[in-house]
Formats: sequence, C-alpha cells, structure tokens
Amino acid sequence: MRERYLYHVALLCIQRAVPQRVNRFMLTLLGTLTLGLTGCAGDLSILDPAGQAARDVVLIWWIMLTFATVVLIGVVALWLYTFKRKYQERTPQEERKIARRWIIGGGILLPVLSVTALLIFGVPTGKRMLPLPLSQPPEVIEVIGHQWWWEVRYPGAEGGEVITANQLIMPAGEPVDFHVTSADVIHSFWIPRLGGKIDMLPGRTNVIRLEADAPGVFGGQCAEFCGTQHANMEFYVEAVEREAYDAWLAERQEERLAERALANDDFAQARDEFASTCANCHSVAGLSASTIGPDLSDIGARYTLGAGTLPMEEGAIHYWLENHQTLKPSNKMPSHNYMDTATLESLGAWLETLTP
Amino acid sequence: MTTIDRDASGPEDLQKLHNDLAEVWANPAGLKALTIVNHTTLGLRFMVTGMAFFLIGGILAMLIRTQIATPDQGFLTPEIYSQVTTMHGTVMMFLFAIPILEGLAIYMIPKMIGARDLVCPRLTALGYWCYLFGGIILSFSMVLEMAPDSGWFMYTPLSSSEYSPGLGSDFWLLGITFVEISALSAGVELVVSILRTRTQGMALNKMPLFAWYILAMALMIVVGFPPLILGSILLELERAVGMPFFDIAGGGDPVLWQHLFWLFGHPEVYIIFLPAAGIVSTLIPVFAGRPIVGYGWVVFAITVMGFISFGLWVHHMFTVGIPQLAQAFFSAASMLVAIPTGIQIFAWLATLWLGKPKMKLPMLWIVGFLVIFVCGGLTGVMLALVPFNWQVHDTHFVVAHMHYVLVGGMLFPLMAGLYYWLPLFSGRMPSETIGKWGFWLVFIGFNATFLIMHWTGLLGMPRRVYTYDTGLGWDIFNLLSSIGGFVMSAGFAMVLIDIALHFRYGKPAKTNPWNADTLEWANKLPPTPYNFVSLPTIETRHPLWEHPELPQEMEEGKHGLASADHGRREMWGTDPLTGKVREIIHVPSNSWWPLFAAMALAIVCISLLLRWYPLAGLGAAVAVVFLLRWSWENGVHPKAAPNANVTPGDPPLHSRTMDGPGVWAMTTAMIANGSFFLSYLFGWFYLWTISPEWRMPETSPLSLIALVIAGGALMGGAALMEKSVRGLRKQQERGLAFNFYGAALLGGIQFALILWVMVRANLAVTETSHDAILMVGLYYALLHSALGAVLSLLQGLRVGYRYVGLHAPFEPVVVAYFWRYNVVVFWILVVALAVLPRVIGG
Amino acid sequence: MKAIVQRLNLTHPGHFVGGLTLWSIWFVAIYGGLSVACAVVPPEPDQGAFNHINITLLLLSLVTAVLLAGLAWGCFQEAKQHKGRQHFNAFVSAWLYVFSALGVVFVAGPMVGLPPCL
Repeated sequence: MRERYLYHVALLCIQRAVPQRVNRFMLTLLGTLTLGLTGCAGDLSILDPAGQAARDVVLIWWIMLTFATVVLIGVVALWLYTFKRKYQERTPQEERKIARRWIIGGGILLPVLSVTALLIFGVPTGKRMLPLPLSQPPEVIEVIGHQWWWEVRYPGAEGGEVITANQLIMPAGEPVDFHVTSADVIHSFWIPRLGGKIDMLPGRTNVIRLEADAPGVFGGQCAEFCGTQHANMEFYVEAVEREAYDAWLAERQEERLAERALANDDFAQARDEFASTCANCHSVAGLSASTIGPDLSDIGARYTLGAGTLPMEEGAIHYWLENHQTLKPSNKMPSHNYMDTATLESLGAWLETLTP
Repeated sequence: MTTIDRDASGPEDLQKLHNDLAEVWANPAGLKALTIVNHTTLGLRFMVTGMAFFLIGGILAMLIRTQIATPDQGFLTPEIYSQVTTMHGTVMMFLFAIPILEGLAIYMIPKMIGARDLVCPRLTALGYWCYLFGGIILSFSMVLEMAPDSGWFMYTPLSSSEYSPGLGSDFWLLGITFVEISALSAGVELVVSILRTRTQGMALNKMPLFAWYILAMALMIVVGFPPLILGSILLELERAVGMPFFDIAGGGDPVLWQHLFWLFGHPEVYIIFLPAAGIVSTLIPVFAGRPIVGYGWVVFAITVMGFISFGLWVHHMFTVGIPQLAQAFFSAASMLVAIPTGIQIFAWLATLWLGKPKMKLPMLWIVGFLVIFVCGGLTGVMLALVPFNWQVHDTHFVVAHMHYVLVGGMLFPLMAGLYYWLPLFSGRMPSETIGKWGFWLVFIGFNATFLIMHWTGLLGMPRRVYTYDTGLGWDIFNLLSSIGGFVMSAGFAMVLIDIALHFRYGKPAKTNPWNADTLEWANKLPPTPYNFVSLPTIETRHPLWEHPELPQEMEEGKHGLASADHGRREMWGTDPLTGKVREIIHVPSNSWWPLFAAMALAIVCISLLLRWYPLAGLGAAVAVVFLLRWSWENGVHPKAAPNANVTPGDPPLHSRTMDGPGVWAMTTAMIANGSFFLSYLFGWFYLWTISPEWRMPETSPLSLIALVIAGGALMGGAALMEKSVRGLRKQQERGLAFNFYGAALLGGIQFALILWVMVRANLAVTETSHDAILMVGLYYALLHSALGAVLSLLQGLRVGYRYVGLHAPFEPVVVAYFWRYNVVVFWILVVALAVLPRVIGG
Repeated sequence: MKAIVQRLNLTHPGHFVGGLTLWSIWFVAIYGGLSVACAVVPPEPDQGAFNHINITLLLLSLVTAVLLAGLAWGCFQEAKQHKGRQHFNAFVSAWLYVFSALGVVFVAGPMVGLPPCL
C-alpha cells in the first residue's frame, strides 16, 4: 500500500507540480540570469512560453538538455581518457568482463533507461495536448493557408461568421480549437509561444488546441516551406479577455463593416477604383465578395501588411501598393505600375480608414 | 576443409604469372579507358566525382550562409535562394554522400574479402555512368537558373505542375531517378559480392566488420530506394501527363508523396551512416592495436539498425495530423535506435579502453566524429519525442540536428577513412601537420555554425526562409553561424591542399603502413587491377596480424588461382556461410555496353525533360537493345569467358554450375523489384482507404476473366522454364530450345491479354487517381511479361549458339527465377486490383 | 518442442533477420491496422484508451512478443550446444530475437494510454 501511495505521489509530482511550479521557477531563473544575457525572448521564441502546451515542451527541453549534456561530456571524456591512461596487460577473461560491462551498461542499459523515462514523461504530455471532447465545447477558429497569407474565419461569432485575414484574435485563458486547412500547397500553422505546429493540408482539416495564459500579442509563422515567399508568411495573434473578444467579433459583423466602408464620402473615387480593379480579388464588406486575395474589410486595424512584410503605419498601404513586388517579390498581387500615384495614394488612404 | 592452392614454382613462372595477370586484367588507355569495368578504377572515379559534387554542394552552402548572415539581405533573390537550398540538400544527399560511400565500398570490398573484382563489373560501370550523367543533368539545371526549388524533399502540391510550372521539378525527378539506377546497381552487386566472392575459408563470422556494414547498407539500398523511384515516377507522370496521384481534386493525396519519400528518406540516413560507422569500426582496432571488442554485438547493432530504420519514416511527418497513437509507435521506434547506436559507441570505447590507442591523424577525425555524432544522436532522441518535435520541426533546430548527424556521422568518418587509406590510393603517407590544421578548422567551424543554429531554431527561426526581420533575437546567432561556416570551408580547402600536395611530397608508404589487420593492405601500394596475384585461405578475422608474411606469399603466387594463361578474369566463388570454395567465378572484361546503355538512358532522360516523347521512346528502345546485347555477351560467350568451353573444372567454372552469382544477383534484384511492387501496393491501398476524395467505380473496369487467362499463360511459361531447369539438373538437354520458345510464346500471350485488358478498360487516367494508379499497375505487369518473354526467347537462341546447354546450364536458372517472381507478383496484382474491389466495393 | 527447434535450424544466420522481420511485419500490421480501423470503425473519442482497437492491437502485440521470446529462448538453447561459427550465429540471433521481443513491448507501450484515432 505504502509503495503504491508513494508511486502516486511521484506521478502527481511529475504531472502536476513540475510543469507549473518548478518549471516557472526554472524558467525565471534561467531565463533572467543566464540566458537573459543573450535573450530567450522574442516574438517567435519557443523558450518564452505563454501557454501550457508550450510550457510543457520547454520544461522537457531543459531536462533533456541537461541530461544530454551530461551524457555527451561523459562519453567524450571516457573516450579521451583512453588515450591518456596507461596500458595494462589483462587476461582474456578480464577483458571479456570489462567489455561486457561497457557494452551492456553503456550500450544497452543507458539508452534503454533514458528513452523509457523520456517516453513515460513524454506520452502524457502529448496526450494533454489532444483535442479531447470537453464538457464545454471550446471556441473554434478556422485558419486557411494561402500562398502567402492567412485567411481566418470565426464561425462561432454571434450574429454570423466573421472573416478576416493575416490577423488572429483569440480569447485568453480558455482552450481554443484551431481548424486548419489549405487552399493551395501545404503550409504549417505555428504560434511558437503557445504550442506546437500543425500542417495545413489541402483537402483535409487538422485540429490543434492551444491556450494563452493571459492577454498578450504573439508571433505566428508558416513553418512548412510553401514557395518563394514562405519567409514572408507571418501573422500576429492577440489574446484578449473573453468580453473583449466578443466585442471584437461584434464590431466585425458584415453590416457594421459595410457601414464603415461606405460612410466617408471623401473617398467615393477610391471606392470606385477599388470596385473596378481590386474587387476582382479582394473583398470589402458592402462592396465586393471575392475570396481570391485577403479580405480587407478591417485592414486599417491590422498590425502588418503583406502577412508580416511591413508594419502598419500611416501611409504604409500606399507604400505597399506601389512597391509590393519589391517588398515581397513574386507575391500573387499584380504590380500596380499602370496606376498613377494619386490613385494609389487615395486607395491607400481610404483603406486605412477601414477600422471598425 | 580442403585447401585448393596452386604453387607457382620458379622465378620465370612467377614473372610469366605476373605478365599474364597484367594482360588479362589490363585497363586500356586513351579513349578505350571509357570501357574500363575494374572496381579499383571505378571506385576511384566514383569518389573523385563525389568530391567534385561535394565542392558544388559546399559552394551552395556558402551562398545560403551569406544570404542569411544578416537580416533583410538582398544578396540572392528569393527564387534563386529556393533553388540554392533545394540543390544544396539534393547535391549533398544524392550526388555526394551516397555515391562517394558506394565508391569507397566498390573500391574496398573486393580488396578486403580477398577477391579480384566485384561480381558484376559491367554493372559497376553502368552505375558510374548513370551517376555521372544524372549528376551533370541535375547540376546543369543550375546553369540554366531552372533548378528545382520546392525543397529537397519535393513535397507536392508545391512541386506539382500547378505551383512549379517550370522544369525544375522535372530536373529533380528525372535526374534523381537516373542517379538511383547507379545506387541500385551498386547495391545489388555489393550484396552478391560480399556473400559469394569472399576468399576461401572466410566464413560469415570471420568477415571484416566493414563488410558487414556494407552488406547491410547494400541491402538497405536494395529495399529502400525503390519507394522513391516509384514516387518519382508517379509525380513525373502527374506533372507530364496529368495523372492525379497526389492531387486532392482528382482523388489523390499529397501525403502519399510524403510517405513514399520518407519510406526512402529515413533509411537513407542510415545508408549513409552505416558505411561511415564501418570505417570507424575498421580504424579503431588498428589504432588501438587490438581486435574490436564485441564483434558479435556490433553485428547485432548493424542488423538492428538496418531493420529499425525502416520503421521510423513517419517521424518526419509528426505535424501532418496522423493520430497521436500512430505517432507514438514511430516515436518509440525512433528511440529504439539509441540502443544499437549506444552498443557501437561503447564497443568502440571498450576497444580503446583495452588497447593502446594512438592519436594519429585518422584517429583525430574519429574523435571529432564521436563528439559531433553523439551530440546529433542525443538531439535525435529529443526530436523523437512527439510534443517536442511539434515545436522544433521545420526550424533551424532540425537543420542543426540533421547536419550533426550527417556531417558527424558521415563526413568525419569519411575523412578519417580517406586519410587512413591514402597510402592505398597514392602509395604515399599523409602529412600530420597540415592535416591537423585542416581538422581543427573544420571541427571548430562546424560547431560554431551548427551548435549555435540549435539555439536560433529554439528562438523560432523556421528553415528555408530567405530573409527575416531584425528584432527576433536571431541576428547575432545567424552571423556567428555564417562565420563558422566560412571557417569550416577554409578547413576543407586546407584538407584538399594537403591531399593534393601529398601526391607529390608525401613520404612513400611501406607495406601495411598502419600495421592493420585486414586484407586490403596485402595489396601493392597502389594496387594492381587484379588486386592479388594469388588468393589466400583466410580463417581468421585478422589475417595480417596473425600472418604478417601473407602479402609477400600472395605476391609470390603461393596461394589459390595463381594462373591467368586461360585469359579469363577469375576469382573464388565461395559458400556464403562457411566460405568453402564452390566454384571459380569468371567475370567479364572491359566493355562499351555500359557506357552506351547509360548514354541512351541519358537521351531518354533529357528528351523526357524536354517532352520530346518520340525521341524518348527511341532512346529507350536503343537502351534496351544495348542492354540485351550486353546480356548476350555473358556466361560462356567468348567475349565474357575465353576458353570456357574447353576448361575442365574442379572446382568448376561458375557458368557450369546452377547456383552461380547470377542467381544471387537476380534474387537481390527481385528484392528491389519486390520493394518497388510493395510500394505500389501501399500506394494503391493508401489512396483507396485514406485519400479524402477517392472515387472508385461501382464495377471494376478490369476484365477478370482475361486477367485469369493471362495468369494461366504466365504459369504455363513459368512451368516450361522450371521443366528445363529440372531437365538440366538431371543432365537432360532434349527439347531445351523448344521449352524456351514455348515460354516466350506464353509470355507473349500474357502480354497481349494484359494489353487487351488495358485497352478495354478505357481508363480515364487524367480524371481520377483510381484509374491512374490502376494504369500504372497494368503497365508494371505488361513490362514484366514482355521482359520474361524476351529473356526466354534469348535463351532459346543461345541454345542454338551453344551458349546454353548441359555444358553451360547456368542462365536458364536465372531466367526461371524471374518467371517465378512474375507469377507471384502477377497474382497478387490481380487480387489487389481486380478481385478485392469486386469483393469489398468502392 | 525439440523437433520444432531442430526444424527451425536456429544456427543458420538467416535468423539474424528473422526476429526483426517479424517485428517489421508486426509494426506494419499495427500501423496499417490502426489507420484502417480508424477509417472504418472509429471508437467514440471519450472512450479513451480502452476500446476495441487498442485491445485488439495489444493482443496482437502480446502474441508477437511471446512468439519472439520463444524463438529467443530456442536460440539460446542452440547456442549452448555449439561452438565456433554455429554458436556465434545462434547467439547473435538469440539477442536479436530478444531485442525484437522487447521492441514489440516498447513500441506497444503507448497503446495503454493513448486513444487511437485522435
């Protein structure tokens, strides 16, 4: 009975206490002291977790790193030592005994015990990340990869599905299921600070469950090579409180966006220009509904342009419209060099006003 | 054991013996040097060509490191960068690592096992030419700025015609398939050579460990390469013809490509590692001055690696969305590899521990190997853990890991081996000083590049990005990695200078300069084309330690097969288990056919690239004619074996027996073919069960009755072949030609019936993946029936020419084996393609 | 039992590949079986690891492991009776069978804890 009790306590320690307390402690210690010098942080850093799944992995990483370093140093030191030590005559029996000790001890027991421990530790960690059925169904967000941008859909929004692009808002402090797929080649959906990646395959939908501990902004990146502009296929995730999330979705209901797009009469000409050219590929609520390129209905509120190519600031859209083929060569939007600067400028200025 | 030795007595006889051997085994000069089939020459050609591709791959690596040394660089355009990364991986894997190790094995194996050549010398030559031409075609794409750019594993749909409309993917698919012919031919003949041509007395458990490693590598090539060949053919068919194997809309599945690629790709890592580990296992005992500790354990480890490596491929696909339980199988299997690796590392350690190790230049590279490879192995175990893999997959962490394993596990041992065997190549010793400088630059440069790169990966840098923003914390690490890369390049430059200088300034080597134990050091330095004047009886694992006088005795012709006045290239054919002599194998001499066949295949390859299909068809027909002519000059044909008809035999010439090396080569080739066939079946069932948009017609379009009749004809033909073989075994020759012609006719009937089924099925191959993959299966059956018929027809003709008969019963056995294979495969195909869909339904 | 052991000719180096071939077939069977079963008869996700698929796969693994262990035992018996080449062959085969048996147990381990089709 006593052994069983101890076993359970040990198991509980591994599964519960370690990931939360020890790991936080280790991270603070290591993160701030040693690695803080060179920098563990970063928008895409695996070592700077902001969710349980990512934190579990970082803990495993530090343990594995420590263990691997010990093994590496041990094995190399033993090898080098053999060149230094004095040769001893031995009988064949002695030799056989020593040989067996090395091969069975180092060659069999060491790897067997290590990988068994790793698997016992690793499989439950992986299991925790599974999208198992929950008593309260989690929020679902659909992400569709395109060459080279992200289409994001919120089918659960009250009042109807919300569609946007290259930006992701999620509720913090609760699990979110991302249903991912692709419209063309294989991409991979990855928010390093929240957890692992999952491939976006044409014709299939994969599900990954992620959770952000607290509100914050995290980087995301396509992780599977998807063509020349694979590098410039980024996005930002903003985790917000539940109420803010609902409010954000409500602001993006089609009629509200349409109202906004059609409101300002100063830009009537820009709107006409948009309707005659841009609308072939892009949609702006109230004006067009094409899904070839990213939806632009709330583009003014996004952090970046060109899926992470340019930061959004005043005049950025105009700059992008003029130079997008040099900023992000071979992207699928045709060059606008047949349009004059004034038109592009007014288009840019109008698009910047599209903030809910 | 009876020892079959022949003494050459007297110095005149000895001089004549040397002259005879030199004449029979001569390597012609001038233009005729292109006809050389000798393993020593071809092994060196393989290695020199491999080195050239290594330099190309290295330059590509430096371009990559220059581009990503700093953020927002404009050194290369994104298009060129994609081509450069794709070609760096492709060149290093397919044109450097595998061929150079094959070259080493081709060069070394006969010398180590006491043979005079590999068992199919013309195949060696064909392999070399295919490698050279394929490599040139593939590299030429870079000159055209049309190189493949979808990453070296060519994932569909990115590599398909829709998203890669240029010729890049075609260059890759056709060029690589061409190069793989070379790997497969080397694989087949290495297996047979190791099993059947060891010198007399060398039982399986007395074989040098290097031969064990190469045996495992060769078998892995035989089983591991066909899945990629199939995948490449399917993808090229999709691109060129529009058959939708990997296209969702047509009922295909892009993940099938990933399975086929990694079914090859993971074993390939071990195909590269095993020979390198073989070098380590050869060198450590020599420099420790004692036999390896745990020979049996090492054989155990080799066997385990050879198998387990085929059960790991999905660990490259952990993020594809496969059920987690299935991922856990592959995760656990991947971790199992730590055991055979650990056993080898500790067997080497124990050898050093119990011996008197000396830190000579080759040992320095071995120690470098240990540090880097153990590190790579440890990160490998980490990557096998699924949750960790989900994070670092496709980041620079994986890039770093992979280079640790491949550079540590392959390049460092290769450099050690290169320095160790230099006296054999050049007759001179390497210098210790410049060599050490080279080593330290490479070692430090390598670690600076890739140790740091782990960290860059953990900070989230994905692989294959041509640019990155500043402010992600990657800048300094990338810069350091790039500097390290250039230090490493400087180190390799130094090594190359060292080796170049040594050919002129190196000290001449004395016999067995490192005091090694294995037979290759019984060669002259540098070796003669026939390796050994006489072939010794070897009953120990350490012949040169136990009999230091052996090289001298062999040179004086005091051992077996010390004659060449018959004009044949002869060596022992021995029992695979015990090493008892069974027959004398005579191998064919120099020939134009390998070069001509490879040239015809190159024309096929180029015309497929340019979509000139009539020319491709013509080229293929010409290649077949050349290959058949090649097969005609075989066995007792005077060009292959002078005087074979008149020579009495004890032991007999192999062409007078019924279990010669050809039977073994055919069996090995059919293992490769079987692996191709199983990959096809996997593709068929995979698409059937997994593909999301799979469409299967209500009724099977294939006529079952016609297929069953075709199978009947096939079995009739096979029965006739078996009957002839049985007759020959009982010393009966009557009706031999008639049987062969009969078999050919039945094969022809089978061919016609399959063709009829194919035409009548009216398959819409560009519409659905179902019809497309069915068509591939029918073509497979069609080609095999044609080949069976033609081979039997040729046997019939050869009876007329007296190349086949009671005095030469060898070839019908080989052809009968092919028919047996055909029977088994055809019925499986009929059941899978025509019966099961009827039983289970769509 | 003796007759079986003799018929198997356990001192033949063919047994070097015997255990791992069985391991490979078993591996293909569980991976392929799992994929097909998940496509054809997937269990409810909330059943966890105790469902018809996992139990069938576990039984298959058990049978394979026992078979491999038996062969390992046979090889050890043979190894004791021979010297030289045949001892070497049987001994190496024996350890390869042991490895294969443990390989089955190790790889089958996660079946106890993970649901099959997620």
